[in-house]
Amino acid sequence: MSRSVLVVGEPRPTGLVPASREAVAAARLAAEGGAVAGVLLGGSPEAVTEFSRGGVTGLWVGSDASYAERRIDRWVPAILAAAKSTESEVIVLASTGFGRELAGALAVAWDAAAATSVTELTPTDEGLFVAMPVLGGRATSKLRLAGPRAVVAIRPNAFGAPAMSGEAAPVESLSAAPPTPTLAGRRVGFEANAASQGPDLSSASIVVAGGRGLRAPENFHLVEELAEALGAAVGASRAVTDAGWKPGTYQVGQTGRSVSPQLYIAVGISGAIQHLVGMMSSRVIVAINSDPGAPIFKIADYGVVGDLFLLLPALTAEVRKARASG
Amino acid sequence: MEIVVCVKPVPDAETKLRPAPDGRTLDLEGAKFVLAGYDESAVEQALLLKDAVPGSTVRVVSFGPPGRTEEVLRAALALGCDTATLVESPPLAHSADVRSVARALAAAVKKLPHDLVLVGKQSGDSEAGMLPTALAQALGHPGFNGAVELKFDPTQKLFTFGRASEAGLERWECPGPVVLGLQQAGNDPRTAKLQNILKSRRATLDKVSLAELPTLDVAGATAEAFQLPPPRTGAKWIEYKTPEEAATKLVRLLKEEAKVFP
Repeated sequence: MSRSVLVVGEPRPTGLVPASREAVAAARLAAEGGAVAGVLLGGSPEAVTEFSRGGVTGLWVGSDASYAERRIDRWVPAILAAAKSTESEVIVLASTGFGRELAGALAVAWDAAAATSVTELTPTDEGLFVAMPVLGGRATSKLRLAGPRAVVAIRPNAFGAPAMSGEAAPVESLSAAPPTPTLAGRRVGFEANAASQGPDLSSASIVVAGGRGLRAPENFHLVEELAEALGAAVGASRAVTDAGWKPGTYQVGQTGRSVSPQLYIAVGISGAIQHLVGMMSSRVIVAINSDPGAPIFKIADYGVVGDLFLLLPALTAEVRKARASG
Repeated sequence: MEIVVCVKPVPDAETKLRPAPDGRTLDLEGAKFVLAGYDESAVEQALLLKDAVPGSTVRVVSFGPPGRTEEVLRAALALGCDTATLVESPPLAHSADVRSVARALAAAVKKLPHDLVLVGKQSGDSEAGMLPTALAQALGHPGFNGAVELKFDPTQKLFTFGRASEAGLERWECPGPVVLGLQQAGNDPRTAKLQNILKSRRATLDKVSLAELPTLDVAGATAEAFQLPPPRTGAKWIEYKTPEEAATKLVRLLKEEAKVFP
């Protein structure tokens, strides 16, 4: 039975966050042939183009400047207005920090069953069945979201994005959301992360992470060069961020970021449980370490034991060669 | 300042990972329930604010089955919370419905004076991260998740906090009442003194009964299966004589076998 589904796009300065494109793929699964509309609040013209060509059947755009503050009390009324106009039964979002904030608020405001970090989605006559990692990625939980309404935030890299279409879907402007009273609280400042090259750690499809095995901060460029060759994001173990070699935003693990890329390359990381729970749901794990007894090898798919100061330059060169030759 | 902290009992780290006999949830038979992770940070943050602003009160609230919920409430009392409220849950066996939890907690929080409602960013078991903003929505207050460096400015009566985004750290200020999901409290959480643990065992808990709650759609989202990943067999070792040989072999495997080479 087909149903209408609404995708909430999350803008970033250069367009959409990648998981929003993947959310369209998940929405198509949920729709079973029904309409898949998008709603974009406060996005750039590039985001409108990307979203409207990204597999939706229509796009609703709201341009109020207040959307830039990314607060639920501004976004939820506008999303509900779009859901009503499109008669949607399911709302799909990217399971980013803000996506999860919205999912919680929408569950109450829209009176819907909701789930985040979703990696699988199956529509049935008894509701939407979804799967997500729980307990630090050590187990998977499958939930049934009973109707009539469901909110699903999907984990980056779990659903491939649909191909970009040559033709843009029709774009309509969302009439101003019902006037909200002046909301308490305001954003008073912003501290940009140190400009990092390459993709965002949380949503990257490949991550190369370095640990204490690199011995000194001046050796970390070996990890960054391999990441650059692969088009990967750079991560670090807690030992590295605690020692100040890299800022805390690089940390992968229980007290840092959780990542689930297609490929995770751990370099000089022994594999403390603290680190493993933040990356063990990665699809393929490669470990490079001098100690064959390192716990990281127990969860890795491929292991290379040896001197990483020799192995990394060779691997970077090989990756560059392989990518250049296609 | 009036602070309410909402906490969830979660199975402790020693709990053996295995499915319950019906295969739908983690097997909680014999599990010990604790105040842990971000919830522990939220309690610590509330107590830090109480230390900083004399005359403050910290009230802890939890929703769930009586036994385990009482345990975490008493743990929070032992750490220094002033009162504890147990919100009685309907049978929850397989419920995973965040709106029910938010509505039940909101019904209890509404009865308590509050300038600030603190919640952990996400629970230690399901890790969904939805409750802070679901609770804000149910209470009709502003709400933010992932707050760091929370402070209170007593002259302007404003809460100030950081909120991480993909691009950096936003600085926010907000008057109460506000609901915040807490990323971290900064320092190591305090531990309870033995005499306070003993005192907390005898403390009277306030109760909100099922009859006082709105109708809850606990079956709106239900757990159907709990699965452990197939045991990892350990790494496939790359044998090599030179680093170049290792690199060639690894790239070939990533391309042809794992199919993850970009």
